[in-house]
Amino acid sequence: MGVLVTTGRTILAATIGLGMALGVQASGYPDIGPLPQLKTNAAKAELGKRLFFDRRISGDAGISCADCHMPDNGYAHPDALSPGYPGNGHFRNSASLINTAHKNVWNWDGRIGTNLNDMTREMLTEDYIMNMDMRIMQERAKQDPVYVQMFKDAGYGEPSNGSVRKAIPEYLKTLTSRNAPFDTGKMSDSAKRGMALFKGKGGCMQCHNGSLVTDLKAHNTGVPENFDVFLDPMNHQAFVAFTMFQGIPDYMNLKRDPGYYNVTLEEQDMGKFVTPSLRELKYTAPYMHNGMIASLPEVVEFYNNGGGKDSRKSDMVKPLNLSGQEKKDLVAFLEALSGDPLTGSGFVWSEEYPAEYPVIENWRQVRN
Amino acid sequence: MNLKKHTPTLVAAAVATVLLAGFGVTSISIAGMEKGGPAPLAPLGLPPIPPDNLQTPAKIELGKLLFFDPRVGGDASTGCSTCHEPDQGWAWAEDFSRGYPGTVHWRNSQTIINSAYFPRQFWAGSASSNEKQAKSAAKGGVAGNGEDDLMEARLALIPEYRKRFKEVFGTEWPHIFDVWHAISAFERSMVQRDTPMDKYLQGDKRALSEEAVRGKSLFEGKAGCIQCHNGALTSDTDFHNIGIPPNVRWEEDGLAQITFRFEQYAKGQTEEGYRTAKSDWGFYYRGKNKWDRGKFRTAPIRYVKYTAPYMHNGVFYTLEEVVDFYDRGGFDEDGRTTDFPENKSPLIKPLGLTDEEKSDLIAFLEAYSGEEILMEKPELPEYAPLFTKAQLEAAQEAK
Ligand code: HEC
Ligand code: HEC
Ligand code: HEC
Ligand code: HEC
Repeated sequence: MGVLVTTGRTILAATIGLGMALGVQASGYPDIGPLPQLKTNAAKAELGKRLFFDRRISGDAGISCADCHMPDNGYAHPDALSPGYPGNGHFRNSASLINTAHKNVWNWDGRIGTNLNDMTREMLTEDYIMNMDMRIMQERAKQDPVYVQMFKDAGYGEPSNGSVRKAIPEYLKTLTSRNAPFDTGKMSDSAKRGMALFKGKGGCMQCHNGSLVTDLKAHNTGVPENFDVFLDPMNHQAFVAFTMFQGIPDYMNLKRDPGYYNVTLEEQDMGKFVTPSLRELKYTAPYMHNGMIASLPEVVEFYNNGGGKDSRKSDMVKPLNLSGQEKKDLVAFLEALSGDPLTGSGFVWSEEYPAEYPVIENWRQVRN
Repeated sequence: MNLKKHTPTLVAAAVATVLLAGFGVTSISIAGMEKGGPAPLAPLGLPPIPPDNLQTPAKIELGKLLFFDPRVGGDASTGCSTCHEPDQGWAWAEDFSRGYPGTVHWRNSQTIINSAYFPRQFWAGSASSNEKQAKSAAKGGVAGNGEDDLMEARLALIPEYRKRFKEVFGTEWPHIFDVWHAISAFERSMVQRDTPMDKYLQGDKRALSEEAVRGKSLFEGKAGCIQCHNGALTSDTDFHNIGIPPNVRWEEDGLAQITFRFEQYAKGQTEEGYRTAKSDWGFYYRGKNKWDRGKFRTAPIRYVKYTAPYMHNGVFYTLEEVVDFYDRGGFDEDGRTTDFPENKSPLIKPLGLTDEEKSDLIAFLEAYSGEEILMEKPELPEYAPLFTKAQLEAAQEAK
């Protein structure tokens, strides 16, 4: 029995509509430019890093953010459909978190349009993701002397669930692309030709534009459904729980991912997804909201064929008649948007977590 | 130990008959203090059945499956029976119950046998019916940690459950609300009314040993137990501070300290209370009255043979320890008592029992347990895809 959250839907829809109205270039689309590194507080980001890799911030202490957002995979997951919380699967591809701090709308369906603090809460508390009662999370942090010190050093005082939701976004800010050939100006000739196609004949710029290479708006490109969402009851149960909670009508009979319809409940938005950033694709295969396309050449083939089959498909997606070389060039450009892997110790927490919580000595004498 | 096959359906049929016969019969079983003294010990009647959740064999059978099904919970590992194990007295044989994975509970797991009679459930009475109790058990962060939507979604993808819910509740899809109904119906079938003491009270004077008969006199007399453990249920269902000391495990176990603080938070302690509490404040959490600190519901004497350890925090592992505790006037062997001695019941005072009297009393307590109720875990129905590939392909075509 879902709680129908009607308030906020329209507001969120409006926010997404605004998209990135600034910096529009002559062609009508914001140009693709470099992404600035974001200023971060080192102590807060370090705390966020430890939390991000810590399984103890999930309900049964069995899964961490990094189990679904894996450093080696561009902070996404190599399976078409993300893992879920133990006991269930998932119905979407895990989204890359590189550059996520530069966005203003999150999730494939764009259901969160506020900030990463809310996004983090969603991941922590959703029953099919981490299923964490944040009051327990807070008390676990207070029981780990390393956290007690780190929260203090970060200026948060005592560990609290509020500061967990601040520290993790601070860490996510450190995950910004670095040294992509596109940004350093070291693109191959093939990639340069691909860029021209991307902006011209390929029509990709209509949706993939600006520094993030996305308009952050929702479109229907006709990506086929991933039947494993429905044929595997572990995935389907997460899907049913999600659509039920979101108040999607007739969720038991639904045989497709409603996408942006979830935000607006308008029929025309059925099957739309928010344009993803095209940075760091080298690491984040497979592609699309449900991982249905395994490789970049196949993505290009998909667009060359005019996208998939859907009566509500965007007019902006149509057959392209690209030559073999043009397709290769386009792929070369997409690859040139990927930079250094963010897998070093600056990004990844590698120290062990204690196997047990140490006891607070003199318990009866000290304040809780 | 011989595995006694419990037959809930028979009980159900019996209950249905009584319902037709009239409701009044059931109410005597939970009578509290009567004018002029505690309600006398009496054989246990049938449990009260709420008119909006009548017993049927199919409902009880469904409730049994759900009780044993860990998918009614967060990560599909921890169902009701996980902490209410049939061969651990339908409870958990440690001081604190095991918790949801990654946690430990902070109270002793209560047996579900005879829980149907209690108008207020849990050690501190925070749920007013089996239905409400089941809901909060399945959802609590250190218990089932489940969420309605996901639990309901799981059941919808298990064809056998769809069939049974439709049969019992007439719904197309299982409703979480009905899960609590079915489990409660099962619990209402899990009662024990044929203990030696029940037989004795019904006139079979050979049902109790001589020792137990002497113990009965102590229980009703010198030891004063009957002042609280009375009526058919052996509980006034009221709340008392009898002097149970805090469990030292809170001083020694990091995981238990986490849950301790979480519970203070979850139960709505004041900031100062959260900072300073070092024991379970019990009934206080209900009305936030300071005179209720350290009070717990009078636990029934029924079925205790199988439900060690005892008390809300499991501090006593044997009935001997329990009786010694009462004999000392509410102190453990180290002289420890409640953090709230100002609230301690005046009915708890040194008893001066001899060793023989103690063992008589224990013989009597044990006479309130019949045969152990064991039950084979049912085979649980499996998930199956809801749609066929052909249906999905057709939907894809129709997009
Ligand atoms: C069980 C797997 C899983 C875990 C654990 C998990 N995530 Fe996610 N995350 C996903 C999936 C799948 C999505 C896409 C969800 C959607 O579109 O509905 C996602 C989306 C996100 C997004 C939105 C990305 C974007 O740009 O739209 C952020 C941010 C995020 N997760 C952060 C986190 C953080 C922080 C944690 C830990 C507190 C976490 N995730 C834990 C699977 C997971
Ligand atoms: C109408 C807007 C639109 C146009 C035009 C468009 N895209 Fe997309 N693109 C999207 C959307 C929306 C998605 C996500 C679709 C989904 O997940 O179902 C997407 C996904 C992708 C992805 C997968 C990214 C990932 O992380 O999974 C790639 C790669 C991509 N597009 C490349 C291109 C290229 C190359 C072109 C031009 C040939 C192009 N797109 C044209 C909207 C568009
Ligand atoms: C993680 C262990 C755990 C799980 C799972 C669990 N319980 Fe319990 N149960 C307990 C503990 C501990 C208590 C006492 C808690 C308290 O008083 O706060 C209890 C109390 C009860 C009581 C109260 C009995 C009385 O006399 O008042 C009933 C009935 C009960 N549980 C039934 C259930 C049902 C039904 C489920 C499944 C929906 C369930 N439990 C799941 C541990 C558990
Ligand atoms: C003032 C009321 C009162 C009196 C008198 C009293 N009890 Fe209790 N009894 C309780 C309460 C309340 C509890 C539960 C206390 C707790 O968990 O903190 C309890 C618990 C018990 C238990 C544990 C049951 C379980 O399942 O854990 C036993 C056994 C018991 N009492 C036996 C006795 C005996 C024997 C006497 C007489 C010597 C006695 N009681 C006198 C109120 C009383």
